[in-house]
Amino acid sequence: MAGLPKKEANVLRGHEGAVLAARFNGDGNYCLSCGKDRTIRLWNPHRGIHIKTYKSHGREVRDVHVAPDNSKLCSCGGDRQLFYWDVSTGRVIRKFRGHDSEVNAVKFNEYASVVVSAGYDRSLRAWDCRSHSTEPIQIIDTFSDSVMSVCLTKTEILAGSVDGTVRTFDIRIGRELSDDLGQPVNCISMSNDTNCILASCLDSTLRLLDRSTGELLQEYKGHTCKSYKMDCCLTNTDAHVTSGSEDGFIFFWDLVDASVVSSFRAHASVVTSVSYHPKDDCMITASVDGTIRVWKT
Amino acid sequence: MDADEEDYVFYGTPIEREEEMTSRKKKAVAESSGLLRSLPPWKQEVTDEEGRRRFHGAFTGGFSAGFYNTVGSKEGWAPQSFTSSRKNRAEVKKQSIFNFLDDDEKEEMEGHSLGTSLQFDTFGFTAAELARKQAEKEQQQRPSAIPGPLPDEIVLPASESIGVKLLLKMGWRRGNSIKDSHTNSLYDARREARKAFLALSSDDVSTELAVSEGVKSDLQNVIELPANDDHKSSESTPVYVLNPKQDLHGLGYDPFKHAPEFRGFSMKNDLFAFKSGKVAPGFGIGALEELDVEDEDVYASGYDFEDNYVQEVEEPSGLVIDSKQKLGGKEKGVLSGFKVASKLDYQLERFDPPVVPKNFVPHHKFPAPLDDSNKHDGDPPPPEAIAPEDNNLKLLIEGVATLVARCGKLFEDLSREKNQSNPLFSFLTGGNGCDYYARKLWEERQKHNDKSKQLLDVKSSPTMQKMTAESRGKILGERPLERSSRDTNSSVASADVIQLQFNLSDTFTKPASLKELPEIAKPFKEDPAKQERFELFLKEKYHGGLRSTDSGGASNMSEAARAREKLDFEAAAETIEKGLRGKESNLSTQQFMEMSATAQAKVTQAEELVIKKMYPKREEFQWRPSPILCKRFDIIDPFMGKPPPAPRRRSKMDSLVFTSDSVKSTTVDETVTSKLPVAQLDPQQFSKDVNDREIEVNVEVEKVERPIDLYKAIFSDDSDDEVENSTSNQVDDPQRKIEAANTTLNRLMAGDFLESLGKELGLEVPPDMPQSINKARTPAPKEESNNVNPGNISSLAVENKPSSTYTAVKGTSVNQEGPHDKAYGQESTQEVRSQNNELILDSPSGGKIKVTGSSENESSKIKAEKMDQEGRKAKTPTGHRQNWSSDSSSEDERSRKRSRRRRHRSDSSDTDSSSDHQDRYHSRSKGRKKGSSREKSSSSRRRYSKHHKRGSRDSPSRSSRHSSERERSESKREKRR
Repeated sequence: MAGLPKKEANVLRGHEGAVLAARFNGDGNYCLSCGKDRTIRLWNPHRGIHIKTYKSHGREVRDVHVAPDNSKLCSCGGDRQLFYWDVSTGRVIRKFRGHDSEVNAVKFNEYASVVVSAGYDRSLRAWDCRSHSTEPIQIIDTFSDSVMSVCLTKTEILAGSVDGTVRTFDIRIGRELSDDLGQPVNCISMSNDTNCILASCLDSTLRLLDRSTGELLQEYKGHTCKSYKMDCCLTNTDAHVTSGSEDGFIFFWDLVDASVVSSFRAHASVVTSVSYHPKDDCMITASVDGTIRVWKT
Repeated sequence: MDADEEDYVFYGTPIEREEEMTSRKKKAVAESSGLLRSLPPWKQEVTDEEGRRRFHGAFTGGFSAGFYNTVGSKEGWAPQSFTSSRKNRAEVKKQSIFNFLDDDEKEEMEGHSLGTSLQFDTFGFTAAELARKQAEKEQQQRPSAIPGPLPDEIVLPASESIGVKLLLKMGWRRGNSIKDSHTNSLYDARREARKAFLALSSDDVSTELAVSEGVKSDLQNVIELPANDDHKSSESTPVYVLNPKQDLHGLGYDPFKHAPEFRGFSMKNDLFAFKSGKVAPGFGIGALEELDVEDEDVYASGYDFEDNYVQEVEEPSGLVIDSKQKLGGKEKGVLSGFKVASKLDYQLERFDPPVVPKNFVPHHKFPAPLDDSNKHDGDPPPPEAIAPEDNNLKLLIEGVATLVARCGKLFEDLSREKNQSNPLFSFLTGGNGCDYYARKLWEERQKHNDKSKQLLDVKSSPTMQKMTAESRGKILGERPLERSSRDTNSSVASADVIQLQFNLSDTFTKPASLKELPEIAKPFKEDPAKQERFELFLKEKYHGGLRSTDSGGASNMSEAARAREKLDFEAAAETIEKGLRGKESNLSTQQFMEMSATAQAKVTQAEELVIKKMYPKREEFQWRPSPILCKRFDIIDPFMGKPPPAPRRRSKMDSLVFTSDSVKSTTVDETVTSKLPVAQLDPQQFSKDVNDREIEVNVEVEKVERPIDLYKAIFSDDSDDEVENSTSNQVDDPQRKIEAANTTLNRLMAGDFLESLGKELGLEVPPDMPQSINKARTPAPKEESNNVNPGNISSLAVENKPSSTYTAVKGTSVNQEGPHDKAYGQESTQEVRSQNNELILDSPSGGKIKVTGSSENESSKIKAEKMDQEGRKAKTPTGHRQNWSSDSSSEDERSRKRSRRRRHRSDSSDTDSSSDHQDRYHSRSKGRKKGSSREKSSSSRRRYSKHHKRGSRDSPSRSSRHSSERERSESKREKRR
């Protein structure tokens, strides 16, 4: 078993105020962060270098995602818009307006042709990056509360909502599966084998669901997650589950027996985001204290 | 010539020369001389003093009217076209009324405009203005040496105003600002200080230079001031203070002098944090935006350590600063001009916290309930006594003790009285075994109190209420309820009432197996209703026998939910039973408490299990991805070539209404037709769909009616009273029900009547049109609200509700109309009476009599309506009058009529846009057919007259949605008259 990334390798400072999300790019060489200061920042986490700042958002930036080919970015936030950026020039290519409220999460699909966003307005919206239309190509509004998080596979759209459901929209079959967890879902994260979905609920519990059956496989407890939007994820080997905590701790659980493998204080304040390196044992965490920390074994 | 004229005195008006007179003028003169006065009135013209024609007809004036006299420009009243102010900002002029007035009107206006008279014009503003205008005017008239308008300074007010005079007398000299010299200097000092402060707080070393410069320039200003011209006086008004002093520091005090690292922070706070304290530091929002809830720094709420720190530093008064200054004084010397006092006068008085007594227990004892046994709480325990050797006696004593402990002193007294002669009971009066009895009694009481006390700890206020109920029972000598003291776990007051009742009923019919149930912990504490159902369930379970079909308030639950709940209940009951079985083995109260706790734990576990069983819950729906989404995901559209999808449910409304799953399919179809943009559907397919839907709808008409009610509740204006009425109807007098039934019947008959009428007129009247078509065509929800086929008998039950309310509303409107109609109605009461009688005779049922002939107002109204029809035919103004009065009926009625019109339209199968016209035609033709319709039942007559009324009301203007529009139509009608 490879060791868990517990050693602080770098601290990325630059954001003013809370950092709301930090994400590795597809190959894990770079990372993106966004925060209350309305900026998106591109970093090299391994060397601790700030590369670029993307400024255009009018309010806080809540989520950012980079296309698999690293050429485009999409971001969303409190200004109810999605921004579609060119990575190298730092210019906004398109703005997608249509959400009636803040946008919580955003993801590219596999081909970076569609951006799917999840909003406080209880809807999921899909936006076309290929055409010049700025209208959503699909609105999914079966949720009954704010949609917090979205995940995409090749054929499916998954989203977790405060109404306690994780919904899977299968484009291939034209089917919606709704898994009601009974607790507000804060964040969903897919296992690397895409068989399971990890849902962070606001009762300070992470729940692991089997995607095919909707069965509850495991629950992970110990951290605090009651009022903030916080991320959770699985490690690259799917051996552990990790999440931040509102007291600044980071928790690692064993995937199978749900025991807390490790927990340590990483930040001075709420850990808003965790992102695990796709290949290596490396993790970045972002916090309200304004720092992004890079953890390695 | 002028000079000549001065010398003469003229009488009369001079005859002007022909060529001097304009033709217009000539005409005016001619008119005034009475040339035209002899003309008939329609040939006379109204002119102004210039002889210009004042009134133009639409065909005689028009363009030239604007040209010749109104505006004075060739363009006439050219509408203001939009000009972007973006490129030519300078040219944007503010429009004023003067742009649109004639010369003479302008003159009039100017006569009325307010201005300060010269005398009271203190600073000569008005005078200056006037003078300037005058100068401009003059300058335009004659060429001057200096081209362009004269500078203001040159044109001065001729005289000094009274204000200036007064001021001068008070010692004011020109050029000085109007304030006494004292304040002036003070102001300067303040300004200086402010500048200094700003400079200091902007943490530049170089600022001192700037400060001195600023001061210097200020001084220069001051020096320059007297030299200035008179008209600089206005300059001496104070400059608007950009940064008012808002802190509580002394002047020139720099709170960050010794802590420069906080300076930036505080500045930020000043800039951004003045609106709400919770804005994230560092980033404000744009100047044009307002701070919202979403701008609050949610993260700072729990963790605002930085903020606290700064606040501490900034705290203007109090110890912190004090000590800090003292410290600073020691370290760096004191403030300039001050020196450290050798002896500190000021000593902060400190008080030690009060000493907590050692035996103090931080636990509040609530006042004990009115339980008389509790009195003995404080009694010292009687000494341990040896049990009497007689086993019987021992048992007896123990039994009595328990009973007494339970039921109180009263029992003791009673038994003592009864068994006075009985030697066995001598222990009560102090005989054999007396001390043993005392001991036993104490023990029992102790036990008994333990129970209630332990519960007391857990209980809160509602329990206190409960205890009073219990104590009341005790006072009344009832057997104390075992349950009542235990059931108190539920903390919801509303549930208490129910439970109390429940307990009471329990005392009378207590099933054997339920005896031990009182100790159940409530598994559904959070949901009182559910708990209630659960108890009912338990009761039923242990009772056996018939199970009521409708269990509790679960009627509003779906079948599935009920089944699920039942399973829950079973599980919970099982766990409880297990707990009970375990309990039976050891009966001591102490152990029981533990036991119940474990039982509770078990129950909570069970609860968790139940929850786990319930969640995650997987549901599956159909979902249709848009074709382009499929394309972008590189997936073949699973719905390719299929008809447009049926959205599962559009809103929460539907889900609220349709709790049972069986209805879902129809809702889907309903919503599709009304909500899908029609453009998406190609007509053929659409019609096919509609046909499909028709079948479905016809099958399940009963269910389809439900969203109508819902829509009504949400969208129609009169939703409130409708809902109220419908609910109140259930409890209401039977009369209303009869009325409702009658009106529905009437409506059905009216439907038949309309149909027959349509046939007579040669219009094709289809049988009942399915509603889905109506829906598709009338997307407005309001119109859908009453969209019920009159002939549809299956919808009768649903019809009932609105119709009954209809009559209610109608009644009020009738009353409203009363006064209007009365005056007219008086004239021919005879007719009214006869009509009334006729109605009564016509009506087949007694209920109808009530509807029609009960009140004078009503009958007069019917008469009026009849008159209306006749008036309509004859086009007499009285008919219109009636119309008008009927217009004053309430909004409710109108909306209802509107909806009825829809229905009517669907009946007469006219679906094209000219339906309204046709509708009117209908009603008019009905009016013509009036004679034949006499023999129809009174109900239908009422109805059709209503139709007529509506039609005639609609005729001048279709829209009668708002009162303003209504007024307009009324006025139109009046005009026509």
